[in-house]
Amino acid sequence: MATQTHGEAPARTARTPALAVGESLAQFFSKHPERRYVMFGGKGGLGKTTFSAATGYWLAQHGKRVLVFSVDPQASLSDIFQMDIFGKGPVKVMDNLWAQEIDADRHIREYQDEVRAKILDMYGLDKVPDEIEDYIAAASAEPAMEESAIFDSVVDILSEGDYDYYVYDLVPLGHALYYLSMAKVYDEWIGKITHLREEMREYEEVAARMRRQKEMAEDQILGELQYIRTRINAASRILTDREKTAFFFVVIPEQMILLDTRKAAELFARFEVPVAGYIVNRVLPPELADDRAPAYLRNRIEMQRGQLAEIDRGFGKTVLARIPELERDVTGLPMIERVAELMYGDGASP
Amino acid sequence: MNERAANGRRASVLAGLREFLYGMTGHEFARHAVATRASLETLFMVTCVGDMIGLPVMPPYYSLRLLPFVVPEIATWKRRVLRERQFSDEHDFELHGV
Repeated sequence: MATQTHGEAPARTARTPALAVGESLAQFFSKHPERRYVMFGGKGGLGKTTFSAATGYWLAQHGKRVLVFSVDPQASLSDIFQMDIFGKGPVKVMDNLWAQEIDADRHIREYQDEVRAKILDMYGLDKVPDEIEDYIAAASAEPAMEESAIFDSVVDILSEGDYDYYVYDLVPLGHALYYLSMAKVYDEWIGKITHLREEMREYEEVAARMRRQKEMAEDQILGELQYIRTRINAASRILTDREKTAFFFVVIPEQMILLDTRKAAELFARFEVPVAGYIVNRVLPPELADDRAPAYLRNRIEMQRGQLAEIDRGFGKTVLARIPELERDVTGLPMIERVAELMYGDGASP
Repeated sequence: MNERAANGRRASVLAGLREFLYGMTGHEFARHAVATRASLETLFMVTCVGDMIGLPVMPPYYSLRLLPFVVPEIATWKRRVLRERQFSDEHDFELHGV
């Protein structure tokens, strides 16, 4: 990988401006200042992290306080910003821009400790009973645990921070859908046990009334259930909020990717995720396809031309940007700045 | 003094009467309510921490949040759920004659 020191301007050869499309990304943000939760979704390796970083950079440059965060256990924000930020909370990258990578394992460990401390505190014990301790350890090893922990920390991030914009570098599509379906399942689960608990409460009241006992202890479990419900709803509400969320699909002009993206878009629609638009990445500059170009390159450009026409037919005006393939990978602030210019360089401001 | 003693006697007769009437009428209801609550408690425990006895539970993450509150119930619940059953068990909580 080519390394580069900060501050040194990257070579600006092949300065291909993003091709004009429907509405531009910058116009989108300028028209919809209320859309504060920005998400980039798509298959792995298409440029979600790059666009998240560049969007954060552009917004921060325009004076907005921005947090770019990732929930991917194989997060690459550390790589793109060339800083070690994993599990360190929000780390300042530049003026107005913070980046954060969630360490799910640590979140789970802290959560287990909280549960243990609560048990010791509630019952005045010195040590958590073995049976309970085993249960805590076993529950934490379940596969759904990590996803839930991540989900929960996203709620923390979104509800505690005071940023103008939150740029959410999503995990690949399947996982994002899993989060959403999980929110629905959780909500139903909570609904059922809340109902059960309320019924228990009613019977307890009847018994207390018959026995002329006036006072009943407050049901702490019901309180806890309400709390869990608000947490779950907060997370899924943000993902599906038409007013505040801007969800962008990242695609590249290749048939497989387009087919997968269409399927994913249908699934997202089913979960009522409002898709704000599509960004096409890795477009080979057409001017490279002159007679002297090798057949390999000409063929690829020809193939892309066909797929781009397909993209225009399929997604029409919802294609908000086409970003050219760059001559090197995007790491470090100068390269991020260059991508931000390609994405948002048409003069509109947020 | 006598009056106070008479009042005391009257109060205890009334209390006795109240207990008697409760025993005649309300007790069965109260017992039924408590028993139903206990059944619901079993169901609640299964839904929250069923994986303790081998039943899969959907979201283990949020179950752990509830764990501290159900710690005292765990032993009773396990005894109730895992004990051997009699054929006549399920009729235990019927309200006879009501």
